[in-house]
Amino acid sequence: MSTLGDGRIDIDRGTVLRGGLLALAGAIALAVVAPIAWLVVRAFDMGIESALALLSSPSTVQITINSALLVAAVTAGSVLLGVPLAVLTARTDLPFRRFWTVLLALPLVVPSYIGAFAFVSAFGPRGTLADLLAPLGIESIPTIYGLQGTVLVLTLFVYPYVFLTTRAALLSFDASQIEAARTLNHSYLGAFRRIVLPQIAPGIAAGALLVGLYTLSDFGTPSIMHYDVFTRMIFVEYNAFGRGRAALLSVLLLGLTVAILGIESRLSADDGNAYAGGRRGYTISLGAWKWPALAFCTLVVALCLIVPLGVLALWLFRGGPGYSAGGFAFEWSYGLNSVVVAALAALVATLAALPVGYLSARTDGMLTDLFDRMTYLGYAAPGVVVGFALVYFGVRYLPGLYQTLPLLIFGYVVRFIPQAVGTTQSSVLQVDRSLLEAARTLGHSPLASFRRVTLPLIAPGVVAGAALVFLTTMKELPATLLLHPSGFKTLVTYIWQVQDAGYYGAAAVPALVLVAVSGLSMLVILTQEGDDVR
Amino acid sequence: MTRRAGDDPTTNGSDDHGASGLGRRRFLRTSAVVAGGALVAGCSSGGTNASANGSNASSNASGGANGTVGNASGNASTNGSVGIKSFRGSGPLVESRPPLKGPRIDDLPDLSGTLSVYLGGGEGGLYTQFLDLLQKMYPKFNVKLRTASSSQLANTLITEVESGSPKADVFWAVDLGALGVVANNDATMKLPKKVVKPVPKSFHPNNQWVGVAGRARSVPYNTNKLSANQIPNKVQKFTDTKQLQGSMGWAPTYGAFQSFITAMRLLHGKEQTKQWLKGMQGQNISEYPDEFLVSNAVADGELAAGFANHYYSLRVRAARPNAPIELAFTKGDAGALINAAGVEVIKGTERRQLAMNFIKHLLTAEAQEFFATRTFAYPMIPGVPPVGGLPTIDELNPPEIDLAKLSNLEPTLTLMRETGVL
Repeated sequence: MSTLGDGRIDIDRGTVLRGGLLALAGAIALAVVAPIAWLVVRAFDMGIESALALLSSPSTVQITINSALLVAAVTAGSVLLGVPLAVLTARTDLPFRRFWTVLLALPLVVPSYIGAFAFVSAFGPRGTLADLLAPLGIESIPTIYGLQGTVLVLTLFVYPYVFLTTRAALLSFDASQIEAARTLNHSYLGAFRRIVLPQIAPGIAAGALLVGLYTLSDFGTPSIMHYDVFTRMIFVEYNAFGRGRAALLSVLLLGLTVAILGIESRLSADDGNAYAGGRRGYTISLGAWKWPALAFCTLVVALCLIVPLGVLALWLFRGGPGYSAGGFAFEWSYGLNSVVVAALAALVATLAALPVGYLSARTDGMLTDLFDRMTYLGYAAPGVVVGFALVYFGVRYLPGLYQTLPLLIFGYVVRFIPQAVGTTQSSVLQVDRSLLEAARTLGHSPLASFRRVTLPLIAPGVVAGAALVFLTTMKELPATLLLHPSGFKTLVTYIWQVQDAGYYGAAAVPALVLVAVSGLSMLVILTQEGDDVR
Repeated sequence: MTRRAGDDPTTNGSDDHGASGLGRRRFLRTSAVVAGGALVAGCSSGGTNASANGSNASSNASGGANGTVGNASGNASTNGSVGIKSFRGSGPLVESRPPLKGPRIDDLPDLSGTLSVYLGGGEGGLYTQFLDLLQKMYPKFNVKLRTASSSQLANTLITEVESGSPKADVFWAVDLGALGVVANNDATMKLPKKVVKPVPKSFHPNNQWVGVAGRARSVPYNTNKLSANQIPNKVQKFTDTKQLQGSMGWAPTYGAFQSFITAMRLLHGKEQTKQWLKGMQGQNISEYPDEFLVSNAVADGELAAGFANHYYSLRVRAARPNAPIELAFTKGDAGALINAAGVEVIKGTERRQLAMNFIKHLLTAEAQEFFATRTFAYPMIPGVPPVGGLPTIDELNPPEIDLAKLSNLEPTLTLMRETGVL
């Protein structure tokens, strides 16, 4: 079909295409970093002297240590929880796997201020558990406040990052190798450690990075659990109209982000060889382990979903005017608004992430790595910081877009695009290069072979990325509050309004709607994963 | 005959009714009873004072009714005219309300046109209901509403004004500090005297903003654990009161708490404030994310007492009438600070008349009754008393400080940080 001449032209076209792709990826990376640059400008607004004083104050040092500890512990916890759950739902004969997959991904939509609050109500001093134990003579239970409680709660609500990315990696994983290992008399565990783990490592790393950086940007949980971190101090400064100081602290936080990105790059530097191939799809038979596995899944779902929703329901049924909605009538259209903006954000972020993630997986250039890493900066910045950056940008440079949906969606993309970049990149890494070469020898253009070979293979990863962006956008609060069109309400802005006014019970219905709507959407998304999920 | 639009340039002229005295206002109030549903249905009872703009004055049915009712005092039930009733809340705390005094909505020109309002604070939820009521009364009046936290909206407004294109006509915030910061950034318009006149001077110190609903600092305490006389009447004494050791709670990240510490700093200086914060830490005080949770913990017995805004306890009690929670107030110090929700008009608005008329509506007896009975706030006009057996605003003993200074939070935060409270 193709002559030698055609092939040469093909190569030229490929170079042009690659150049174009590079420019596109660069433009996307710059676009999402631009608003963050505003922070640096703001930070320079305050004098160097007070800046230095703030940076070297004992409390700044303390929150830096606290933040680092929290990130390390939550990341480790999420890997320990997310990877086994991913294996169970993707590669075993666990009953009702799709059901568990949806439920186990859902904790991601529980806003941290609801999750943490529920845990304090349930397990805090004078909480439901303490009340239950008191008649048994148990006077006090270990405190939920502080580092341990913050780690517990955050881990329970962010492990789905690792769960989803690992799952995607497992789904596009080559099964023939594990069979080979088994024929060589390796146990499943041995085969997992020696064959599977190295191949899904990019997926796990992508999820772990998301967990670490999300932990850095979360405000609700540490504040409710009495643990002092960067976000809390930034929040306090914004509340006190110290915009310069807030910006400076944010820049410091970005420094920490860069450090984490550096560590992650070093750890996953040798992932270049991760080209998978051959047959996909294999299933481990659980046998008698089915029951402990089911119990494990049930326990996680109980802690992550049933506890928070149960506590909210409890508040709801306490009833009375003191707990009614404080003047905010709930409307179902808020749910629709949430779904629409989250779906748009997921779509835009996924499309924008494709060139960035693809390039950084397929080329070793410094530039492509830089573009890839740049997209992570907006993600680790607290939402309120990104929000204000975009208010400033919007008012000054895009007055026509300020307080409109496009700017809001752009804000979501700035915050959440790395979730799509990371999953895209790790699944591109798993595509067998020989397949691509075969396609090329058959005369397909690079674009056609991408469309016909790469895209179907990376689809699970891309879909997982879209799901992550969708779920986190559903619950995003601070940027939503700052950038929404006036009068446009979503589930979370409603939850914020009733909670801020102290009407906790009124949050139960919208929180349930949030979880239900997200669950349904997850179901739709997961059906796109392919036939091997049953 | 219908009345003219509220943003008619002659609006200002009709402000004189404020000076025409209480008698006339009472008179009108009673007339509303007779006129029945006039308030909501037509909002056209003949309130417009003809003195300044006779050509616009209406003489309609209820105007005629005015003449037939001579007795102004009324009683609690007849006073609850349709107008007042639709503004008044319900529940155990709102059982009997005395006759109210103050400007009436009937006296004001109609609201008409679109007003862009930034509403700060989730507590503004009930305020949105109030706005809905107004929009029902005035079909031509439309509020474009934006809600977020007070500080976020203040920061947003400052950023917008810096860039030369503010999007709001009115900023209505639940915290005077947020209003003050916007005003200090030269982003507000001075309010005319006749607009702010019904409110005591301390709640419009420089006329850049005016308070519309007050919030008193208070000490909620658990009646099973403490009696009223065990609560010191000076906040400075809390640090060495034995009964409070290990059993108090506060919410240092909460804006109202920071205003309270700012007030203490203004009254006693940095050093004493620092000592007080350290003293409370020495009392092993526990930290909560907000003051509703402090009040709730007091009602549950998790705490014996706490520092919180007064209405949170009322809300706990409205939900659980038997909860063992009562309120104590300190005297003449920061612990007795009265903060407020307030409004200001943003510089550069093209709807100044409408904005001013809107603020006048917030300071009517109807609006104040709404804030008192539904949000449990302290009314800002003396003719409307607070609910729940609370001392009236003049029985409280707030400190003498310039509330506009509450916006200077930075030194307070430095203190709180130095002591490790934040």
